[in-house]
Amino acid sequence: MDWLNEFLPTSTERLNVWIGVICTFAIYSILYRENPFYRFFEHMYIGLAAGYALGPYLVDVLYRYWWEPIRIEGAWGLVFVVPFGMYLYFIYSERYGWISRIVIGALIGAYSGLAFQMFSSRYLPQLHGALTKPLWFPPNATGEIFLSNIFNNWIFLIILISVMVYFTFSFEHRGAVKRTAILGRWFLMIGLGAMFGNTVMARMALLIGRVYYLLDSWLMIRVGGG
Amino acid sequence: MEARSIWERMMRIDRRILYVILAVNIIAALMARVAIEPDVPPPVKRFYDTVEALQPGDMVMVSSTWSAGTLAENQPQFEAVLKHLMRKRVRFTIISFAPPARDISHRLARRIAEENGYVEGKDWAHFGYTPDIIIAIKGMSEDIAQTIRQDVRRTPIAELEVMRGIKSLKDYKLVVDVTPSDTLGNWISYRPPDLKILYCPTSVMAAEAYTFLDSGQILGMITGAKGAYEYERLLGIVGLGTRFINAIQFSHVLIIFFILLGNFGMLMQRRASAS
Repeated sequence: MDWLNEFLPTSTERLNVWIGVICTFAIYSILYRENPFYRFFEHMYIGLAAGYALGPYLVDVLYRYWWEPIRIEGAWGLVFVVPFGMYLYFIYSERYGWISRIVIGALIGAYSGLAFQMFSSRYLPQLHGALTKPLWFPPNATGEIFLSNIFNNWIFLIILISVMVYFTFSFEHRGAVKRTAILGRWFLMIGLGAMFGNTVMARMALLIGRVYYLLDSWLMIRVGGG
Repeated sequence: MEARSIWERMMRIDRRILYVILAVNIIAALMARVAIEPDVPPPVKRFYDTVEALQPGDMVMVSSTWSAGTLAENQPQFEAVLKHLMRKRVRFTIISFAPPARDISHRLARRIAEENGYVEGKDWAHFGYTPDIIIAIKGMSEDIAQTIRQDVRRTPIAELEVMRGIKSLKDYKLVVDVTPSDTLGNWISYRPPDLKILYCPTSVMAAEAYTFLDSGQILGMITGAKGAYEYERLLGIVGLGTRFINAIQFSHVLIIFFILLGNFGMLMQRRASAS
């Protein structure tokens, strides 16, 4: 009887859980067949997500970065920032569409500059790492682990070259080049297979998370624990 | 009516039956009290060692850009990392670069902080939602108080006790990026050069991050709920990762079995129709 009292939606906390359960069942009902129950909750979810985002946009962005600096610090120059951003909406006007391009141009210019920094700090260390991998024992090298490193580095080099050959379209693939490209394609397939395996794992984890919610939060069955 | 072979019947199994089998398998695995000892992979061990090397009072940034859609993958990671940070008595701040990520991370952090005797504002703070990650990282690299202005409770950053002696990201020891999206590249590109990065992606994103691990741009990685389980084992705690792991393992075995069975059935069917 105690369990039933706790189980029923008699408090705000339990009501929240029950709403979550109804939403979960509604979304998963698509697995059985297409139905209006699923459609209603799908649209409600998208609407809620969009509406929910509006709160942080107003509070954490407009209020924090625009309204308060003007009101408290007297940064009146910021008054022009929001209207300037809203010039983007002129894109819907045939006559004044050119005004939106001013904002778009400013944004593209800023992000082009940032892209240069991104390239050097993101890819150069990878290039450096790839080109400086030891392929044989340096004079001071000892230990079994280092042998495995050498082996891994050779595999890395073979995969790197064969995949690059596969993506070289400047000339026709013939003979050894063709065989290398085929090898590269196999390596790519293995890599994509590993990525797909990870994707399946992620989707499974999301499903498991929902089942856990139903068992633990709704039915109050203490599960798992390893 | 022509009699169908077993292989033909197998190829025509209603997919809903497979869903039911999968659901039963997950429920049974969640209920099972079986402990599977993990072989902790090097990225998780390095993640643990990096946090373990922190000193009490060090400052850590937790970038939390996940929401309900990836809760089962990111929540176990987030909780395990926060518990480890609190065990080490380091200070930390949380920042979100997606609107729904703000409240979910704040609520979880508040609960874990209460359990571990951490006080918001004194030992940790949440910077709320910040709209542009690149501008935010570049701004915080120079002056956090000017860039973020207030925490999620509207307290000015400069007045937070947790921020004493901290001016910019250069004063932080490391950043932990818990995310299902491509925020890691921005942290790598625009952070101060000496700021170390640890990464908690969903399993989908993990494969792309191995290049960053290989080049040393990130020091460690916890992959999805499975990685969280391995991390929990290192920490010696039972969290969501530990609760999920049996179901993850058994559902994988079931899916591999289905794949093998489907392929075998298709081959046999082809052979039968060829003969």
